[in-house]
Amino acid sequence: MASNKRWIALFVIFVIISLGSGCQGERKSIEGRCDYDGAKIEPLYAVYFTLQDGTEKKFCSIACASMSFSALKKQIKEVRVVDEPSGNKINASDAFFVESEIVTVPHVKNRIHVFAKKEEALKHIQKFKGNWVEIPFLL
Amino acid sequence: MILNALSITMIFIGALSALLAIWGGISSLILYRKWERPTAPEEKTSLEDRSYLILLIMVIVLVVRLINWPLFYVTLQSFISDIEGAMCIFGVTQVKPSLTRFSEILKPITFFFIGGWLILHVLDRATKTSPLMRRKLFLLSIIGLLVLIDSMGDIFLVIGIAPESLVSCCTTVTDISSRPTRTAPESIFGPEYAQSLQILFFITHLTLIGFIGVNLKFKIFRRLILGLLSLFAILNAFVFLLSQIEVFAPRMMHLPFHHCLYCLWQYVPDSIVMYLLFILGTFSVGWGFTTELFGRQGEAADLLPGYLRKIYWFAFFFLSASLMMLLIHLLID
Repeated sequence: MASNKRWIALFVIFVIISLGSGCQGERKSIEGRCDYDGAKIEPLYAVYFTLQDGTEKKFCSIACASMSFSALKKQIKEVRVVDEPSGNKINASDAFFVESEIVTVPHVKNRIHVFAKKEEALKHIQKFKGNWVEIPFLL
Repeated sequence: MILNALSITMIFIGALSALLAIWGGISSLILYRKWERPTAPEEKTSLEDRSYLILLIMVIVLVVRLINWPLFYVTLQSFISDIEGAMCIFGVTQVKPSLTRFSEILKPITFFFIGGWLILHVLDRATKTSPLMRRKLFLLSIIGLLVLIDSMGDIFLVIGIAPESLVSCCTTVTDISSRPTRTAPESIFGPEYAQSLQILFFITHLTLIGFIGVNLKFKIFRRLILGLLSLFAILNAFVFLLSQIEVFAPRMMHLPFHHCLYCLWQYVPDSIVMYLLFILGTFSVGWGFTTELFGRQGEAADLLPGYLRKIYWFAFFFLSASLMMLLIHLLID
Protein backbone atom coordinates (compact mmCIF):
# COMPACT_ATOMS: atom_id res chain seq x y z
CA MET A 1 0.00 0.00 0.00
CA ALA A 2 2.85 2.36 0.96
CA SER A 3 4.57 1.46 -2.31
CA ASN A 4 1.37 2.30 -4.25
CA LYS A 5 1.17 5.69 -2.58
CA ARG A 6 4.79 6.38 -3.46
CA TRP A 7 4.10 5.57 -7.13
CA ILE A 8 1.03 7.79 -7.18
CA ALA A 9 2.99 10.64 -5.55
CA LEU A 10 5.79 10.23 -8.13
CA PHE A 11 3.24 10.20 -10.93
CA VAL A 12 1.54 13.37 -9.66
CA ILE A 13 4.94 15.12 -9.46
CA PHE A 14 5.66 13.99 -13.03
CA VAL A 15 2.36 15.39 -14.30
CA ILE A 16 2.93 18.71 -12.47
CA ILE A 17 6.44 19.02 -13.96
CA SER A 18 5.05 18.20 -17.43
CA LEU A 19 2.35 20.82 -17.02
CA GLY A 20 4.82 23.42 -15.79
CA SER A 21 7.33 22.83 -18.56
CA GLY A 22 4.54 22.53 -21.11
CA CYS A 23 3.00 25.88 -20.19
CA GLN A 24 6.42 27.54 -20.21
CA GLY A 25 7.23 25.99 -23.60
CA GLU A 26 3.84 27.05 -24.87
CA ARG A 27 4.48 30.72 -24.08
CA LYS A 28 7.98 30.58 -25.58
CA SER A 29 6.92 28.80 -28.74
CA ILE A 30 3.98 31.08 -29.53
CA GLU A 31 5.97 34.31 -29.22
CA GLY A 32 7.00 35.73 -32.59
CA ARG A 33 4.97 33.19 -34.56
CA CYS A 34 2.00 33.41 -36.86
CA ASP A 35 -1.23 34.18 -34.98
CA TYR A 36 -3.17 31.86 -37.27
CA ASP A 37 -1.22 28.59 -37.32
CA GLY A 38 1.84 29.24 -35.14
CA ALA A 39 4.31 28.89 -38.02
CA LYS A 40 7.61 30.79 -37.99
CA ILE A 41 7.28 34.17 -39.68
CA GLU A 42 9.54 35.08 -42.57
CA PRO A 43 9.50 38.93 -42.24
CA LEU A 44 9.42 39.45 -46.02
CA TYR A 45 6.02 37.75 -46.35
CA ALA A 46 4.44 38.85 -43.07
CA VAL A 47 1.09 40.61 -42.67
CA TYR A 48 0.20 42.77 -39.66
CA PHE A 49 -3.30 43.64 -38.37
CA THR A 50 -3.56 46.55 -35.96
CA LEU A 51 -6.74 46.15 -33.93
CA GLN A 52 -8.99 48.88 -32.53
CA ASP A 53 -7.60 48.34 -29.02
CA GLY A 54 -4.04 48.92 -30.24
CA THR A 55 -2.88 45.30 -30.14
CA GLU A 56 -1.22 43.74 -33.16
CA LYS A 57 -1.81 40.39 -34.86
CA LYS A 58 0.90 39.05 -37.14
CA PHE A 59 0.66 36.39 -39.82
CA CYS A 60 3.20 34.38 -41.81
CA SER A 61 1.49 34.86 -45.18
CA ILE A 62 -1.33 36.48 -47.10
CA ALA A 63 -3.08 33.08 -46.97
CA CYS A 64 -3.12 32.92 -43.15
CA ALA A 65 -4.00 36.60 -42.82
CA SER A 66 -6.93 36.35 -45.24
CA MET A 67 -8.26 33.28 -43.38
CA SER A 68 -8.27 35.31 -40.14
CA PHE A 69 -9.51 38.49 -41.77
CA SER A 70 -13.21 37.58 -41.96
CA ALA A 71 -13.32 36.69 -38.26
CA LEU A 72 -11.41 39.79 -37.12
CA LYS A 73 -12.76 42.30 -39.67
CA LYS A 74 -14.82 44.33 -37.18
CA GLN A 75 -11.86 44.74 -34.80
CA ILE A 76 -9.26 45.70 -37.41
CA LYS A 77 -8.09 49.31 -37.65
CA GLU A 78 -5.25 48.91 -40.14
CA VAL A 79 -3.65 46.17 -42.26
CA ARG A 80 0.02 46.39 -43.16
CA VAL A 81 1.88 44.17 -45.60
CA VAL A 82 5.54 43.96 -46.66
CA ASP A 83 6.79 45.14 -50.03
CA GLU A 84 8.79 42.17 -51.36
CA PRO A 85 11.55 44.04 -53.25
CA SER A 86 12.39 46.50 -50.43
CA GLY A 87 11.16 44.70 -47.30
CA ASN A 88 9.35 47.86 -46.12
CA LYS A 89 6.01 47.70 -44.33
CA ILE A 90 3.25 49.46 -46.25
CA ASN A 91 -0.48 49.94 -45.84
CA ALA A 92 -2.40 47.15 -47.60
CA SER A 93 -4.65 49.65 -49.37
CA ASP A 94 -1.55 51.16 -51.08
CA ALA A 95 -0.11 47.80 -52.15
CA PHE A 96 -0.37 45.84 -55.42
CA PHE A 97 -1.14 42.15 -55.11
CA VAL A 98 0.00 39.62 -57.70
CA GLU A 99 -0.55 35.87 -57.91
CA SER A 100 2.15 33.94 -59.74
CA GLU A 101 3.71 30.48 -59.98
CA ILE A 102 6.28 31.36 -57.30
CA VAL A 103 5.42 29.99 -53.85
CA THR A 104 6.48 32.30 -51.01
CA VAL A 105 5.34 30.35 -47.95
CA PRO A 106 5.37 26.62 -48.81
CA HIS A 107 3.33 25.24 -45.88
CA VAL A 108 0.24 27.15 -47.05
CA LYS A 109 1.29 27.20 -50.73
CA ASN A 110 0.95 30.98 -50.76
CA ARG A 111 1.48 32.40 -54.27
CA ILE A 112 0.33 35.97 -53.62
CA HIS A 113 3.06 38.60 -53.76
CA VAL A 114 3.01 42.17 -52.48
CA PHE A 115 4.52 45.22 -54.19
CA ALA A 116 4.59 48.89 -53.32
CA LYS A 117 5.31 49.99 -56.93
CA LYS A 118 3.17 49.05 -59.91
CA GLU A 119 6.25 48.70 -62.20
CA GLU A 120 7.77 46.06 -59.90
CA ALA A 121 4.47 44.19 -59.84
CA LEU A 122 4.23 44.26 -63.65
CA LYS A 123 7.80 42.96 -63.95
CA HIS A 124 6.89 40.06 -61.66
CA ILE A 125 3.74 39.32 -63.66
CA GLN A 126 5.70 39.13 -66.92
CA LYS A 127 8.56 37.11 -65.48
CA PHE A 128 6.54 34.53 -63.50
CA LYS A 129 3.24 34.21 -65.41
CA GLY A 130 1.36 36.23 -62.83
CA ASN A 131 -1.95 38.03 -62.72
CA TRP A 132 -3.43 40.86 -60.68
CA VAL A 133 -5.30 39.99 -57.49
CA GLU A 134 -7.74 42.28 -55.71
CA ILE A 135 -6.77 43.46 -52.24
CA PRO A 136 -7.68 40.60 -49.89
CA PHE A 137 -8.16 42.96 -46.92
CA LEU A 138 -10.96 45.39 -47.77
CA LEU A 139 -12.00 47.15 -44.57
CA MET B 1 15.15 8.33 -47.45
CA ILE B 2 16.00 10.80 -44.70
CA LEU B 3 18.96 9.44 -42.79
CA ASN B 4 19.13 10.17 -39.08
CA ALA B 5 19.49 8.20 -35.84
CA LEU B 6 15.73 7.79 -35.48
CA SER B 7 15.07 6.60 -39.04
CA ILE B 8 17.87 4.04 -38.69
CA THR B 9 16.40 2.89 -35.35
CA MET B 10 12.95 2.58 -36.93
CA ILE B 11 14.27 0.46 -39.80
CA PHE B 12 16.37 -1.68 -37.46
CA ILE B 13 13.45 -2.29 -35.09
CA GLY B 14 11.13 -2.86 -38.06
CA ALA B 15 13.40 -5.44 -39.70
CA LEU B 16 14.14 -7.27 -36.45
CA SER B 17 10.55 -7.38 -35.27
CA ALA B 18 9.32 -8.44 -38.73
CA LEU B 19 11.69 -11.42 -38.74
CA LEU B 20 10.88 -12.38 -35.16
CA ALA B 21 7.14 -11.89 -35.79
CA ILE B 22 7.29 -14.36 -38.70
CA TRP B 23 9.18 -16.89 -36.59
CA GLY B 24 7.12 -16.29 -33.44
CA GLY B 25 3.78 -16.23 -35.28
CA ILE B 26 4.38 -19.49 -37.16
CA SER B 27 5.90 -21.25 -34.12
CA SER B 28 3.01 -20.25 -31.86
CA LEU B 29 0.46 -21.43 -34.45
CA ILE B 30 2.23 -24.83 -34.66
CA LEU B 31 2.40 -25.08 -30.87
CA TYR B 32 -1.27 -24.09 -30.59
CA ARG B 33 -2.25 -26.96 -32.86
CA LYS B 34 -0.10 -29.46 -30.96
CA TRP B 35 -0.94 -28.26 -27.45
CA GLU B 36 -4.19 -30.12 -26.78
CA ARG B 37 -3.25 -33.38 -28.50
CA PRO B 38 -2.42 -36.25 -26.15
CA THR B 39 1.35 -36.69 -26.21
CA ALA B 40 4.07 -38.57 -24.41
CA PRO B 41 5.49 -36.82 -21.29
CA GLU B 42 8.85 -36.20 -23.05
CA GLU B 43 7.15 -34.57 -25.98
CA LYS B 44 4.95 -32.50 -23.64
CA THR B 45 8.08 -31.25 -21.85
CA SER B 46 9.69 -30.40 -25.19
CA LEU B 47 6.55 -28.48 -26.22
CA GLU B 48 6.56 -26.55 -22.94
CA ASP B 49 10.24 -25.68 -23.30
CA ARG B 50 9.69 -24.43 -26.83
CA SER B 51 6.65 -22.42 -25.77
CA TYR B 52 8.63 -20.69 -22.99
CA LEU B 53 11.38 -19.74 -25.44
CA ILE B 54 8.86 -18.37 -27.94
CA LEU B 55 6.98 -16.46 -25.24
CA LEU B 56 10.18 -15.01 -23.80
CA ILE B 57 11.38 -13.69 -27.16
CA MET B 58 7.95 -12.52 -28.27
CA VAL B 59 7.35 -10.64 -25.00
CA ILE B 60 10.52 -8.63 -25.71
CA VAL B 61 9.42 -8.02 -29.32
CA LEU B 62 5.95 -6.95 -28.21
CA VAL B 63 7.29 -4.55 -25.56
CA VAL B 64 9.54 -3.01 -28.23
CA ARG B 65 6.49 -2.67 -30.51
CA LEU B 66 4.63 -0.87 -27.71
CA ILE B 67 7.46 1.68 -27.56
CA ASN B 68 7.45 1.83 -31.36
CA TRP B 69 4.15 3.74 -31.46
CA PRO B 70 5.49 6.94 -29.82
CA LEU B 71 8.83 6.39 -31.58
CA PHE B 72 6.98 6.51 -34.91
CA TYR B 73 5.79 10.05 -34.20
CA VAL B 74 9.16 11.14 -32.81
CA THR B 75 10.72 9.93 -36.08
CA LEU B 76 8.17 11.80 -38.20
CA GLN B 77 8.81 14.90 -36.08
CA SER B 78 12.55 14.59 -36.81
CA PHE B 79 11.80 14.72 -40.57
CA ILE B 80 10.04 18.12 -40.47
CA SER B 81 13.14 20.19 -41.16
CA ASP B 82 13.93 18.08 -44.25
CA ILE B 83 10.51 18.39 -45.89
CA GLU B 84 9.85 21.68 -47.62
CA GLY B 85 6.51 23.12 -46.55
CA ALA B 86 6.15 20.91 -43.45
CA MET B 87 5.79 22.85 -40.21
CA CYS B 88 4.52 19.91 -38.14
CA ILE B 89 4.09 16.13 -38.43
CA PHE B 90 1.06 16.66 -40.68
CA GLY B 91 3.33 17.97 -43.44
CA VAL B 92 5.52 14.85 -43.17
CA THR B 93 2.46 12.61 -43.42
CA GLN B 94 1.63 14.28 -46.76
CA VAL B 95 4.74 12.87 -48.44
CA LYS B 96 3.28 9.32 -48.40
CA PRO B 97 -0.31 10.03 -47.31
CA SER B 98 -1.89 6.59 -47.86
CA LEU B 99 0.89 4.58 -46.25
CA THR B 100 1.16 6.99 -43.31
CA ARG B 101 -2.61 6.90 -42.73
CA PHE B 102 -2.52 3.10 -42.86
CA SER B 103 0.29 3.02 -40.25
CA GLU B 104 -1.49 5.59 -38.08
CA ILE B 105 -4.61 3.40 -38.00
CA LEU B 106 -2.79 0.10 -37.56
CA LYS B 107 -0.50 1.25 -34.74
CA PRO B 108 -3.19 1.87 -32.09
CA ILE B 109 -4.89 -1.41 -33.05
CA THR B 110 -1.60 -3.30 -32.68
CA PHE B 111 -0.86 -1.46 -29.42
CA PHE B 112 -4.26 -2.47 -28.04
CA PHE B 113 -3.86 -6.15 -29.00
CA ILE B 114 -0.31 -6.31 -27.63
CA GLY B 115 -1.36 -4.68 -24.34
CA GLY B 116 -4.31 -7.04 -23.98
CA TRP B 117 -2.14 -10.06 -24.74
CA LEU B 118 0.57 -9.00 -22.26
CA ILE B 119 -2.05 -8.68 -19.49
CA LEU B 120 -3.33 -12.15 -20.34
CA HIS B 121 0.24 -13.44 -20.24
CA VAL B 122 0.85 -11.91 -16.80
CA LEU B 123 -2.40 -13.46 -15.55
CA ASP B 124 -1.44 -16.87 -16.91
CA ARG B 125 2.04 -16.68 -15.39
CA ALA B 126 0.49 -16.12 -11.97
CA THR B 127 -1.12 -19.59 -12.18
CA LYS B 128 0.58 -22.95 -11.66
CA THR B 129 -1.05 -24.85 -14.53
CA SER B 130 -1.00 -22.23 -17.32
CA PRO B 131 -4.64 -22.73 -18.32
CA LEU B 132 -4.48 -19.84 -20.84
CA MET B 133 -1.45 -21.14 -22.74
CA ARG B 134 -3.36 -22.42 -25.78
CA ARG B 135 -5.37 -19.20 -26.14
CA LYS B 136 -2.23 -17.16 -25.67
CA LEU B 137 -0.46 -19.03 -28.45
CA PHE B 138 -3.39 -18.61 -30.82
CA LEU B 139 -3.66 -14.88 -30.09
CA LEU B 140 0.10 -14.55 -30.42
CA SER B 141 -0.03 -15.90 -33.96
CA ILE B 142 -2.61 -13.22 -34.87
CA ILE B 143 -0.58 -10.49 -33.17
CA GLY B 144 2.52 -11.78 -34.98
CA LEU B 145 0.75 -11.04 -38.27
CA LEU B 146 -0.22 -7.54 -37.12
CA VAL B 147 3.35 -6.86 -35.96
CA LEU B 148 4.69 -8.09 -39.30
CA ILE B 149 2.40 -5.77 -41.31
CA ASP B 150 3.12 -2.85 -38.97
CA SER B 151 6.90 -3.41 -39.15
CA MET B 152 6.88 -3.66 -42.95
CA GLY B 153 4.79 -0.47 -43.07
CA ASP B 154 7.41 1.31 -40.94
CA ILE B 155 10.25 0.19 -43.16
CA PHE B 156 8.53 1.16 -46.43
CA LEU B 157 7.43 4.49 -44.99
CA VAL B 158 10.80 5.53 -43.60
CA ILE B 159 12.56 4.50 -46.81
CA GLY B 160 9.86 6.13 -48.96
CA ILE B 161 9.96 9.59 -47.38
CA ALA B 162 12.33 11.48 -49.65
CA PRO B 163 14.13 14.59 -48.40
CA GLU B 164 13.33 17.95 -50.01
CA SER B 165 9.80 16.77 -50.89
CA LEU B 166 7.45 19.73 -51.33
CA VAL B 167 4.17 19.51 -49.40
CA SER B 168 1.53 21.82 -48.03
CA CYS B 169 0.88 21.52 -44.31
CA CYS B 170 -2.04 21.34 -41.89
CA THR B 171 -3.40 24.88 -42.39
CA THR B 172 -4.65 24.00 -45.87
CA VAL B 173 -6.54 20.91 -44.63
CA THR B 174 -7.47 21.13 -40.94
CA ASP B 175 -8.62 24.76 -41.01
CA ILE B 176 -10.87 24.84 -44.06
CA SER B 177 -14.52 25.48 -43.28
CA SER B 178 -15.67 22.25 -44.98
CA ARG B 179 -13.52 20.01 -42.75
CA PRO B 180 -15.52 16.94 -41.59
CA THR B 181 -14.68 17.54 -37.91
CA ARG B 182 -16.64 20.78 -38.20
CA THR B 183 -19.44 19.84 -40.60
CA ALA B 184 -20.39 16.62 -38.74
CA PRO B 185 -21.02 18.22 -35.30
CA GLU B 186 -22.42 21.36 -36.94
CA SER B 187 -25.10 19.27 -38.69
CA ILE B 188 -26.15 17.87 -35.29
CA PHE B 189 -25.70 20.82 -32.92
CA GLY B 190 -26.05 23.80 -35.27
CA PRO B 191 -23.75 26.82 -35.63
CA GLU B 192 -22.92 26.88 -31.88
CA TYR B 193 -21.56 23.33 -32.15
CA ALA B 194 -18.28 24.07 -30.33
CA GLN B 195 -19.99 24.82 -27.02
CA SER B 196 -22.22 21.73 -27.31
CA LEU B 197 -19.24 19.53 -28.20
CA GLN B 198 -17.35 20.77 -25.17
CA ILE B 199 -20.27 20.02 -22.84
CA LEU B 200 -20.81 16.62 -24.49
CA PHE B 201 -17.16 15.71 -23.92
CA PHE B 202 -17.31 16.54 -20.20
CA ILE B 203 -20.57 14.59 -19.84
CA THR B 204 -19.30 11.44 -21.61
CA HIS B 205 -15.87 11.56 -19.94
CA LEU B 206 -17.26 12.04 -16.43
CA THR B 207 -19.92 9.39 -17.07
CA LEU B 208 -17.24 6.91 -18.16
CA ILE B 209 -15.14 7.65 -15.07
CA GLY B 210 -18.30 7.35 -12.96
CA PHE B 211 -19.24 3.97 -14.45
CA ILE B 212 -15.72 2.66 -13.85
CA GLY B 213 -15.89 3.94 -10.26
CA VAL B 214 -19.25 2.17 -9.70
CA ASN B 215 -17.82 -1.04 -11.18
CA LEU B 216 -14.86 -0.85 -8.83
CA LYS B 217 -16.98 -0.02 -5.80
CA PHE B 218 -19.51 -2.83 -6.31
CA LYS B 219 -17.12 -5.23 -8.09
CA ILE B 220 -19.43 -5.70 -11.05
CA PHE B 221 -17.20 -7.56 -13.47
CA ARG B 222 -19.84 -9.19 -15.70
CA ARG B 223 -18.88 -9.70 -19.33
CA LEU B 224 -21.89 -7.84 -20.75
CA ILE B 225 -21.32 -4.80 -18.55
CA LEU B 226 -17.60 -4.69 -19.34
CA GLY B 227 -18.41 -5.01 -23.05
CA LEU B 228 -20.86 -2.10 -22.86
CA LEU B 229 -18.30 -0.10 -20.90
CA SER B 230 -15.74 -0.71 -23.67
CA LEU B 231 -18.22 0.49 -26.31
CA PHE B 232 -18.86 3.59 -24.23
CA ALA B 233 -15.10 4.16 -23.96
CA ILE B 234 -14.88 4.05 -27.78
CA LEU B 235 -17.71 6.59 -28.02
CA ASN B 236 -15.94 8.78 -25.46
CA ALA B 237 -12.69 8.51 -27.45
CA PHE B 238 -14.54 9.68 -30.55
CA VAL B 239 -16.03 12.67 -28.70
CA PHE B 240 -12.61 13.40 -27.15
CA LEU B 241 -10.98 13.51 -30.58
CA LEU B 242 -13.66 15.76 -32.06
CA SER B 243 -13.66 18.14 -29.10
CA GLN B 244 -9.86 18.28 -29.08
CA ILE B 245 -9.70 19.20 -32.76
CA GLU B 246 -12.55 21.69 -32.71
CA VAL B 247 -12.45 23.21 -29.22
CA PHE B 248 -9.59 22.38 -26.87
CA ALA B 249 -6.53 22.28 -29.16
CA PRO B 250 -7.09 25.81 -30.56
CA ARG B 251 -7.60 27.10 -27.00
CA MET B 252 -4.51 25.40 -25.61
CA MET B 253 -2.38 26.65 -28.52
CA HIS B 254 -3.82 30.20 -28.25
CA LEU B 255 -4.52 29.91 -31.98
CA PRO B 256 -8.33 30.14 -32.18
CA PHE B 257 -8.57 29.24 -35.88
CA HIS B 258 -6.03 26.44 -35.99
CA HIS B 259 -7.21 22.85 -35.49
CA CYS B 260 -4.13 20.67 -35.96
CA LEU B 261 -3.36 18.15 -33.18
CA TYR B 262 0.22 17.65 -34.40
CA CYS B 263 0.79 21.39 -33.95
CA LEU B 264 -0.68 21.07 -30.46
CA TRP B 265 1.92 18.44 -29.54
CA GLN B 266 4.60 20.76 -30.89
CA TYR B 267 3.50 23.98 -29.20
CA VAL B 268 2.12 22.46 -25.98
CA PRO B 269 4.41 19.47 -25.32
CA ASP B 270 2.71 18.37 -22.10
CA SER B 271 -0.43 17.69 -24.13
CA ILE B 272 1.43 14.54 -25.24
CA VAL B 273 1.30 13.33 -21.61
CA MET B 274 -2.40 14.18 -21.51
CA TYR B 275 -3.04 12.19 -24.69
CA LEU B 276 -0.93 9.30 -23.39
CA LEU B 277 -2.99 9.19 -20.19
CA PHE B 278 -6.22 9.31 -22.18
CA ILE B 279 -5.10 6.51 -24.51
CA LEU B 280 -3.92 4.30 -21.63
CA GLY B 281 -7.15 4.99 -19.71
CA THR B 282 -9.36 4.19 -22.70
CA PHE B 283 -7.34 1.12 -23.65
CA SER B 284 -7.41 -0.12 -20.04
CA VAL B 285 -11.22 -0.22 -20.24
CA GLY B 286 -10.89 -2.38 -23.37
CA TRP B 287 -8.14 -4.49 -21.81
CA GLY B 288 -10.41 -5.19 -18.85
CA PHE B 289 -13.00 -6.57 -21.27
CA THR B 290 -10.52 -8.68 -23.29
CA THR B 291 -8.99 -10.07 -20.09
CA GLU B 292 -12.46 -11.10 -18.92
CA LEU B 293 -13.23 -12.53 -22.35
CA PHE B 294 -10.11 -14.68 -22.69
CA GLY B 295 -8.94 -15.05 -19.09
CA ARG B 296 -11.88 -16.88 -17.52
CA GLN B 297 -10.42 -20.39 -17.73
CA GLY B 298 -9.45 -22.92 -15.05
CA GLU B 299 -7.19 -21.62 -12.31
CA ALA B 300 -6.95 -18.16 -13.96
CA ALA B 301 -10.68 -17.57 -13.34
CA ASP B 302 -10.02 -17.39 -9.59
CA LEU B 303 -7.36 -14.73 -10.02
CA LEU B 304 -9.35 -12.77 -12.59
CA PRO B 305 -11.36 -10.44 -10.27
CA GLY B 306 -8.16 -9.17 -8.63
CA TYR B 307 -6.61 -8.43 -12.01
CA LEU B 308 -9.75 -6.77 -13.34
CA ARG B 309 -9.81 -4.55 -10.27
CA LYS B 310 -6.24 -3.44 -10.97
CA ILE B 311 -6.94 -2.82 -14.67
CA TYR B 312 -10.02 -0.70 -13.93
CA TRP B 313 -8.14 1.19 -11.24
CA PHE B 314 -5.60 2.10 -13.90
CA ALA B 315 -8.41 3.16 -16.25
CA PHE B 316 -10.00 5.29 -13.52
CA PHE B 317 -6.68 6.87 -12.59
CA PHE B 318 -5.47 7.56 -16.14
CA LEU B 319 -8.78 9.01 -17.36
CA SER B 320 -9.08 11.21 -14.26
CA ALA B 321 -5.46 12.41 -14.62
CA SER B 322 -5.98 13.25 -18.30
CA LEU B 323 -9.13 15.20 -17.44
CA MET B 324 -7.28 17.04 -14.64
CA MET B 325 -4.51 18.05 -17.07
CA LEU B 326 -7.06 19.38 -19.54
CA LEU B 327 -8.91 21.32 -16.83
CA ILE B 328 -5.68 22.83 -15.46
CA HIS B 329 -4.74 23.94 -18.98
CA LEU B 330 -8.12 25.52 -19.58
CA LEU B 331 -7.98 27.28 -16.21
CA ILE B 332 -4.44 28.59 -16.78
CA ASP B 333 -5.43 29.85 -20.23
